[in-house]
Amino acid sequence: MEIAFDAVSIGFATVPVLEDISFRVHRGETKVMLGESGAGKSVALKLALGLLRPDAGKVEVLGETVSAMPESDLYELRRRIGIVFQESALFDWLSVRGNVAYRLEEEGRLDAAAIEARVRVCLEAVELEDAIDKMPAELSGGMRRRVSIARALATEPEIMLYDSPTGGLDPITATNIMQQIIKLRDVNRVTALLVSHRLQDGFLMATQRWDPEHNALRPATDGDASTSFLVLHNHRVVFDGSARHLLAAADPYLQRFLKG
Amino acid sequence: MATLAPPQDRPPRSWPFLGWVRGHLEGLGAFSQLTGAAFRNMFARPFYGGDVFLQMDSIGVGSLPIVILTGFFTGAVMALQLADTLAQYGQIERTGQLVALSLVRELGPVLTGLMVAGRNAAGMASELGSMVVTEQVDAMRALGTDPMKKLVTPRLLATVVMMFFLVILADLCGLLGGFLYATLSLGLDARQYWYTALQSLGSSDLSQGLIKPVIFGVIVAAVGCYYGMSARGGTRGVGRATTTSVVSASVLIILTDFLISRVLIGFFGS
Repeated sequence: MEIAFDAVSIGFATVPVLEDISFRVHRGETKVMLGESGAGKSVALKLALGLLRPDAGKVEVLGETVSAMPESDLYELRRRIGIVFQESALFDWLSVRGNVAYRLEEEGRLDAAAIEARVRVCLEAVELEDAIDKMPAELSGGMRRRVSIARALATEPEIMLYDSPTGGLDPITATNIMQQIIKLRDVNRVTALLVSHRLQDGFLMATQRWDPEHNALRPATDGDASTSFLVLHNHRVVFDGSARHLLAAADPYLQRFLKG
Repeated sequence: MATLAPPQDRPPRSWPFLGWVRGHLEGLGAFSQLTGAAFRNMFARPFYGGDVFLQMDSIGVGSLPIVILTGFFTGAVMALQLADTLAQYGQIERTGQLVALSLVRELGPVLTGLMVAGRNAAGMASELGSMVVTEQVDAMRALGTDPMKKLVTPRLLATVVMMFFLVILADLCGLLGGFLYATLSLGLDARQYWYTALQSLGSSDLSQGLIKPVIFGVIVAAVGCYYGMSARGGTRGVGRATTTSVVSASVLIILTDFLISRVLIGFFGS
């Protein structure tokens, strides 16, 4: 089991954000986390990375109890986890190259040539090799999001956390981003926790596979066993299961949520 | 009045006074933790020497014009204001002495501290605050960097070092400003001005003049970084943090100046 939340609760200034939530993400699985704005989805991602500590409960990632580890111990664990922030969170004083290479240069384990090669591989994966010398201010929203994905991939993480990777993007760019994510899932075999406001992102993950021969998506023929859904409402988990079960759910909130 | 209470997480309104006290105590605690961690990180790896030099350039070299102007015209106005009074008592030749003592003991460190606080505490609060609200600080932590080591410690060290030299420069410019007014407007002898100015400075004066910049440097950087790192609420929160940092740093400099002066005069004598 890669990610495990056990009875996790957290609040800010007496306002509850998550209450007693529990779920699991298994190796190779993609869990799509859905819910209305303010449901605590981004907070759940930050809890998984140890950027926040729960008020109650336990968070385990890759066998480590993240919720109890000191910050200095988390730095090595975070090497195995990549995160794509909601607004990309690129370092605006560094170029695309500098952003993607950031962790590798901080660690100092690789020489300059090896870092450069790794940066180019990561940018190639998101089809942004030509933007390597640009500054973040020169990039469009979609390009910034893809650079953020490339930066998260630099250390070849076992887990990827995506915080609304298509938020605020036009439909074409959003689909492009989702294609990149599905490609990463199927080629790199990473475990993923994806937060989204868009139902179509989750169903795209569940119903499509990356076809390396044609360099495009194709409909999945093996069902949606590797993609599950988690819906948050009123600070709690109201659904945790497959796409098929979500579509068949009788809960009035879920039906209203699915209708949009 | 500016406070050290962090802008976010206001306590409930049911006990306003107790909530106000609690908020400020929590803020003071958080401020102390940040300052302590920043000092500890000076002796811990990794040490971001490159960032220290970048900040020294931004804080020190960038503050040169304002410090030179402040020092120069403070010295000149001191000579201007003192001239009539000294002339009444037949002591006009002591102009250099009084300008030097006032500058080195008080005006040089305090006015330089206020100018640097206005420029750099605000700059630090806005820069770090912007990084916090755009999740760049979270991204730094996610990518294995301690933001305290990378962002706060270099700024603290750079400000302390540059404040020391900026105050010395401000004092020299102030003496020069006083000299120009004294010789060109008052007709004082140049050598007499410099002799009385430099001869009057004792160990007590120099100790005050050189210890205060170090402490003021800590205040400017710690306050600016504290408000920046605790900014919340988007651009509005960053703006609030920027303004509060300048006011807080300025008030603390003036308050600390009195305390330091009292202690150092008691230790070295007046």
